[in-house]
Amino acid sequence: MNRIAIAGKTGIKQGLQLCKICGNYSLQVEHPTECPICLNEISQRKKNSLQKTWAFLITSIIFIFPANLYPITYLLKNNTLYPDTIFSGILSLVDSDMPGIALIVFVASIVVPFLKIIALAVIAFSVQNHWNLNPKKQLWAFYLIDWIGKWSILDLFVISIMVAVFDKGHLLSVYPGIAATSFTVVVLTTLFAANNFDTRLIWDAQTDE
Amino acid sequence: MKTIICRHCDMVSHVPNMPSGYVAKCIRCESVIYKNSWCSPSGMLALCLAALIIIVPAFYFPLISIHLLGITEGTNLLQGALMMIDNAPVVAFVVLFCAVIAPTLLISSIALSSACLTFNYHPAYLPKILKITYILKHWSMLEVYMVSLMVAIFKLMNYADLYFGVGFYFFIALLLLNLTIISNYSNHSYWERYINE
Ligand SMILES: [Zn+2]
Ligand SMILES: [Zn+2]
Repeated sequence: MNRIAIAGKTGIKQGLQLCKICGNYSLQVEHPTECPICLNEISQRKKNSLQKTWAFLITSIIFIFPANLYPITYLLKNNTLYPDTIFSGILSLVDSDMPGIALIVFVASIVVPFLKIIALAVIAFSVQNHWNLNPKKQLWAFYLIDWIGKWSILDLFVISIMVAVFDKGHLLSVYPGIAATSFTVVVLTTLFAANNFDTRLIWDAQTDE
Repeated sequence: MKTIICRHCDMVSHVPNMPSGYVAKCIRCESVIYKNSWCSPSGMLALCLAALIIIVPAFYFPLISIHLLGITEGTNLLQGALMMIDNAPVVAFVVLFCAVIAPTLLISSIALSSACLTFNYHPAYLPKILKITYILKHWSMLEVYMVSLMVAIFKLMNYADLYFGVGFYFFIALLLLNLTIISNYSNHSYWERYINE
């Protein structure tokens, strides 16, 4: 059923396609759309990978503005509402002598989303325009943003804990603001953007081979 | 010799016979392409069952207790997400999914496929289970939740006295088990066992 692949050459040059789900390969001419082993849909590269990556990236760029400009939480104290944006929340952590915690929140909520969008955009541009950047470095940059990407959800978890704890206190309460929803959209779209990017395109775009 | 196509760069590499606990890396991009886990499906099944037992108290018992105006009350992991459903349903759902649903489903699906392979039972839904495991791996975020809990505790210390609840210790145990399971699970070798047996 399977021709044995020759090491040291790419799968696409040998007419083979890999099934990302089960990890087996098959001849593309014999099994063009369905993996013969696990019966899942296969293709040589993720379909419309760059278009999907861009669509999610652009959505995240749009939503990152309300996420940072509007209040992410409201604190209700003595019948007064105190709104907090992501940034003002970090500043108040610095004011209350918790620079370490402020740094964690700053990295997770501000550095990670921006870095992820910028890095993905650079990699996608370089693939489309054949910039011939070092492919290994691009892949490791992708691994890094893929791994740190999920840490941007940290602030949402923190809000969920604060909301529940304060509800018990009866003295104070915390509510999520509009920015919490926008920020959730940013987190999701950057995750989807990375998931839809096919790293094999980085090597396909190298023209000197 | 067996060959494998790298999922990250499409290069074909040989996979040598390796002692367990070793990994093989791609010749071009140096990503891990094959894991020879020291943990057999039966070992994995034991780990998953332990995790599934611990998951109940970890989610149900209070993670932290707050002492305010002479009253002590605890907060568990589920309440946090459920309380936001009216105000911010999207946020509530994402928190619930990444902190509760995805980790539980991921461990259950690995438990199920490990049980099938251990007892040599190959039901028709096994490929689906393996596919779900592959997708869910991205969405289980227990370790992020742990760090978030620490951040929340530091923030809350300004307002009230806090104590760790019983759930906290179960949660740490769950976190360690979960890390062991995920780092030893290899989707590819499960598929191989499924096809060859
Ligand atoms: Zn397959
Ligand atoms: Zn590779």
